[in-house]
Amino acid sequence: MSTPTAGQQSPANGKSTDEDLAPGTTKQWAGLHKWLKRGLMVCLVGLVIEGSFDLPFLAIWYGWPTLSMHDICSELMKVRYNNESLECQYPYRFPGPPLSGAPEAAAVDTARDKWGIQPVPEYPRLGFRELVRMHDERIARQNAANNIAPHP
Amino acid sequence: MNLPLMNRRSGDGKKRVTSSVAGSGTVDDRYEEGRLAQRQADKWLIAGALLIGANGVAGTLGLPLFLWGLKLQRDASKAGLTVRPIMVTLIGYLVIVDAGLNLQGWILDMVANHSLIYRVLYTAIGNVMDGGYFWHYNQLWIGGAAAPGEKGWEFACILVVFPMRIAAAIAFLQMKRWGQQWLLVTCWFGVVIWVGYVMNMTEYADVRYAHVVFPVLGWWIFDIMYITPFLAIPYLHTVNRDIFSE
Repeated sequence: MSTPTAGQQSPANGKSTDEDLAPGTTKQWAGLHKWLKRGLMVCLVGLVIEGSFDLPFLAIWYGWPTLSMHDICSELMKVRYNNESLECQYPYRFPGPPLSGAPEAAAVDTARDKWGIQPVPEYPRLGFRELVRMHDERIARQNAANNIAPHP
Repeated sequence: MNLPLMNRRSGDGKKRVTSSVAGSGTVDDRYEEGRLAQRQADKWLIAGALLIGANGVAGTLGLPLFLWGLKLQRDASKAGLTVRPIMVTLIGYLVIVDAGLNLQGWILDMVANHSLIYRVLYTAIGNVMDGGYFWHYNQLWIGGAAAPGEKGWEFACILVVFPMRIAAAIAFLQMKRWGQQWLLVTCWFGVVIWVGYVMNMTEYADVRYAHVVFPVLGWWIFDIMYITPFLAIPYLHTVNRDIFSE
């Protein structure tokens, strides 16, 4: 494709000349480049906001600071595999899977799915800080089963 | 760095004389001045991009540094110095940040899937908007996301697309012709990835979206910010290629 260079173009209708354009941008594509620049700036700011706030947002949604990161990890695992006895192993031996040994859920077969060519997961949808409620209810249940009086 | 050559190679020569008369010294002095201004701006841009790419709260610290670098470069350009076009700078750095974030995310899912921070981050984000990162997480022999096809995409992109794109973007920032050409190639790879990935997600939509907090729309809002390579394609096809050096 032969693209006219800035030096070859002449001002049209006395409007802005190519002198105003950035190197590499010809008048023909100036509008496109302007909009692309705006899009790029939106992506830049968007990526920064996402990168900065996704972990804090997720941590708060799933129960931090009431629950520790280890608690959240374990609660999510219990939901994922429909199994209250599962706990996130922490610290995990190093080097863990995939470099050595089987992954932590390799032998777990309690997850509920509608199996078929297109499996459908059947774990519940989790609302805002629902893990805290689930965590507290389970602890209360376990304490009741063990006849331990709740903390006054 | 090879700086834009338009006025030196493609102009009729008159511009060069004019600019040296308007400036404070000879063409060589002005060229050196531009080189130093670009270098100064790049220091801020690199620091900002590294912090943004480091993810987490560091990104909020990185953004002002990056914007300050852009401002320095724009000022130098307005002062008539020969510096890299703003669009080349934006695309080059953003493509690196975009590829770096993807690379980081997928490598960690591949080899750090049992670290506490990533078990929480990935399964939580999976539960919020992409069940592929929640469903049977850490049950495949390789660990991490278990969604059908996911590991195939991860492997191909980690080994081929993203390193290639980052290498091309560095050469693009150095205003080399091969950088522009290979960035074009690897950004079109991006189109293949997106079309294939979205089709894969659609095929297994139940795994990806059943019972997640913000299905489909949540994924799009989060991931649409990664379309930088798409925005680069029209620019790379329409930029005057004379500004890049052989």
